[in-house]
Amino acid sequence: MQSSLFDTLKKFDLLIIAAIFLLFIPLLTMQRTTDFMIFCVFVLAFDLIYGYMGRLSFGHMLYLGVGAYAAALSAEHLSGNPFLALLVAVVAGGAVGLLLGPIIVRTTGACFALINLAFNQVGFFLALIALAEWTGGEDGMAAFYDSVWIFDFGDPKVIFGFTLLCLIAVVYFVRRLTDSPFGILLRTIKENETRAKFLGYNTFFYKLLAFVLSTSLAALAGALTMLNYTYATPSFIDPTRNVEVIFACLIGGAGNVYGALAGGIGYMVISNYLPNYIQRWEMFLGIALLVVVFRFQAGIWGYCRALITARKGEVKA
Amino acid sequence: MGLLPRTHHGAERGGEGMISTIAYGLTIGAILYIISIGLSLTFGTMRIVNFAHALVYTIGAYALASSLPFFGGSFVLAVIFGVVVVIPLAYLIERFVIRRLYGQSIDYAIIATYAVLLIGVDACKWVWGATPLSVSDPIGTAWTILGVDLPVYRLIIIALSLLVFVVLELFFRRTVVGKVVVAGLEDKEATRSLGINVDKYFSFVFILGSCLAALGGALYVPITSLHPYMGFQVLLLSFAVVIVGGLGNMRGTFVAAFALGLVMAVTGRFWGAASETMVFVVMAVALIVKPIEV
Repeated sequence: MQSSLFDTLKKFDLLIIAAIFLLFIPLLTMQRTTDFMIFCVFVLAFDLIYGYMGRLSFGHMLYLGVGAYAAALSAEHLSGNPFLALLVAVVAGGAVGLLLGPIIVRTTGACFALINLAFNQVGFFLALIALAEWTGGEDGMAAFYDSVWIFDFGDPKVIFGFTLLCLIAVVYFVRRLTDSPFGILLRTIKENETRAKFLGYNTFFYKLLAFVLSTSLAALAGALTMLNYTYATPSFIDPTRNVEVIFACLIGGAGNVYGALAGGIGYMVISNYLPNYIQRWEMFLGIALLVVVFRFQAGIWGYCRALITARKGEVKA
Repeated sequence: MGLLPRTHHGAERGGEGMISTIAYGLTIGAILYIISIGLSLTFGTMRIVNFAHALVYTIGAYALASSLPFFGGSFVLAVIFGVVVVIPLAYLIERFVIRRLYGQSIDYAIIATYAVLLIGVDACKWVWGATPLSVSDPIGTAWTILGVDLPVYRLIIIALSLLVFVVLELFFRRTVVGKVVVAGLEDKEATRSLGINVDKYFSFVFILGSCLAALGGALYVPITSLHPYMGFQVLLLSFAVVIVGGLGNMRGTFVAAFALGLVMAVTGRFWGAASETMVFVVMAVALIVKPIEV
């Protein structure tokens, strides 16, 4: 009985995810909930590289920042159309991924992490100092979007609905992608890249493709943040904030769509409420990271899944 | 977050300006070399990026600054204190974080050492506050060479880094411990199969590297200012040094550190803000020419 219940629940997962976020509205403000969902999109983008392909990026804020600034610059120089801004941001994120990817994806492990971090640092410098004429440097830049048809993004309800649609679409896309042969190949690369090469796959191409998809999704998250706040600051591209998405991905459970969502919500809840009570937030984050790494590697979703499999075993017995 | 010496004036022009730029570049290179050795060794032996290296560096610098009054202003004693103080810290990090992660995915090691760095930096902020501190040049005089005033302290730093290089070369080539470490760098499994407890030597190397990082931090204090986040920037630069020099390649690290120090100084002469970014550009070029496939 139990197992069939979980299977039924899984069929309606997109609806359940939407319902969970709708339930958050009375608990938080609408803009906060939108923030939660945007962060979940970002965690999904990160998880595509970390959880599925097994490459830890320590510089994903770069791609988020590129998306945010691209959306802001599009509003300032092209037109106030929000959809054009989203398109520009996703294309810009993909372009940056395509430009840096050939250098980055050839490396693994520690090199992969730190090269991303180094490029993130370069991007931060560009946004803060070198291109300050366009980005506003430390002051940041504001962007104003026109309302198109029913999409008036000045209204929190509209942006909430639109972000929810985006999140559902991204969840669906990532799930389809990772269930496809391409996703299986990504997991093969994670487990043993030499064998994947042995089977005749050009792993470089697939790694690059996954990387570009991930950077585009991260840029989408950045553009949505722009729509939500209409203000871009260098904190969107700050390399020291990379640890947030890594932590979110770890506590949720890497390599799973639901894990990424659970981690995104979990991290946002922690980071929104705990700093009010805890003075030393960075220290808390560090200790929590150590606990996760040493005792809780499977994350929230891994824990739930172990529980479900145990239940299933009981039912069969 | 600037790493260039605050007395550096980019506006100088002419040959004399260039000589002092090169001298500054060599000073930065010397500091980068001393800090990068530990990173290069842990990277080469354990394939671990030790983010906690930046913490050790920061602690070394703060230990120097706060112990200076207790030693009656004796800079040398304070530097030694700064180096000694990190030994137990490095031991604890190695024993309770890094050793527990042997054989696991290296991503966890990166995250765990980053967590240690976060905790340590926050502790530094707690103890010493977030406002930058500074320590004055312990020697204060300058020699005039080719018509350019060069602070003696910087020349001493460069000489000291050369000394470290020579001592390490001798250590790795002449002593048994050094030879075991080199063998472990080459092939860990083969060394272990000779009945050598490689991990014991690696933890020794880890502590040695940490001490050198603290030395680098302590020596750098009079040139720059002290703040809790000083380690983040230096860590990335030393990582660039390790990448350009080759993982676990001691001589390569030496050459790369001075080359990148010069890159920083020369870039900084024309555009101060871009000096650190230029290092990462050089690193990217090095990776395109010679990709690392670990």
